[in-house]
Amino acid sequence: MPPDADLESLMVRYQQGDLSAASELITRLSPALHRFFMIQFVSRRYADDLLQETWLRIHQVRHTYRPGEPVLPWLYAIARHIRVDQYRKTRRVETREQQVERLPETAAFDRAGGVDLNALLAGLPESQREVILMLKVSGLSLEQVARATKSSVGSVKQKAHRAYDKLRELLVGAGFNK
Amino acid sequence: MKDLNIDEILERAAQARHPVDPALLARVSTSIAASLRPVRPLASASTLAWVLLALTTAIAVVSALALGPLGIQKLSGAEIGTIFPVLGIFTWLAAQVCVAEMTPGSVISNPAMRLLTLLVIWLAVDAIFFHDYGMNLFLPQGIPCLRAGLIVAMPTGIAAWLVLRRGFAVDRSAAGLSAGTLAGLAGLIMLEIHCPNFHAMHVMVWHTAVVPLSALAGFIVARIPKA
Repeated sequence: MPPDADLESLMVRYQQGDLSAASELITRLSPALHRFFMIQFVSRRYADDLLQETWLRIHQVRHTYRPGEPVLPWLYAIARHIRVDQYRKTRRVETREQQVERLPETAAFDRAGGVDLNALLAGLPESQREVILMLKVSGLSLEQVARATKSSVGSVKQKAHRAYDKLRELLVGAGFNK
Repeated sequence: MKDLNIDEILERAAQARHPVDPALLARVSTSIAASLRPVRPLASASTLAWVLLALTTAIAVVSALALGPLGIQKLSGAEIGTIFPVLGIFTWLAAQVCVAEMTPGSVISNPAMRLLTLLVIWLAVDAIFFHDYGMNLFLPQGIPCLRAGLIVAMPTGIAAWLVLRRGFAVDRSAAGLSAGTLAGLAGLIMLEIHCPNFHAMHVMVWHTAVVPLSALAGFIVARIPKA
């Protein structure tokens, strides 16, 4: 994940109408955002749609970013809102529950002992999955996750702690006894 | 298995490449380029909060003076010195929540819980100062107060919307709830200055009701889809 100061200057240039800064932001932040949607929605088509919708929304409300503030909580708050909105609209045609049901304990691991992040996090409740994804994949700090999710740092810590307990259980159950 | 081991596993998994279709990114860039022009960022959060505080106080005081400051004339120094600073603090907090709600990724906690806490504290202040629990003319005197409070809340809500209209980027319902609360506080302040009825139940029910009703109105209005 790019350093936040760098993102801040790109964001300011984007607000000033600099197309190259906008393109740079899209290129650099889209993979993590896409992953954020993939893990929640499973389907690549949904993730693609949501990514596109998120960037269009960001474009509409880019003036609400205040220079000097961290970019990632602002960006993820918008992405999260789009995701929740979409969730309500679709009522989850492709349900996460279905995936969890068919997820064998070892599905998260390939033969080389690597881990498929989507499959591993599928075992977590949505709120915990979201927190782990922001913390460990998107590189947000505890405080930034709290801002993006409109909750307190204590609540984020608690969700992360519970998620780790569940992940530990899943990993040990899959023979990952380190 | 320790947390550190889980950290390592997650880090390894996160490092796996996650390519996004370049055609999709090109589509997004093209859509944005079509309407890209410089925009002025929002004013600082503290500036907006001060503006809201000033507007709310001004509307409440001017309305109360127009109706006659009959209530404040009957209050003791201790009552004035407690009730109005408490209302001032509430208004400042509500203004800050409003500003935070209009901006994605702001530091904010649950606005509904804040509203509830605010109401409980206000009822406690009422219970300390107003001890006459008589219900004489409860309804005939209550309804006009509620109506006057809500009438004053309306222009405050409109003024708050004018100040905050460039925001409301994420959760419009929560933003509406906060703006409605702020507007309701203008109505409550006006009633505390204007209304000379100090029956505890009158103040606790009819004056206080302006805040949640106004908050509810703000919540409902914010949920109306944009044309």
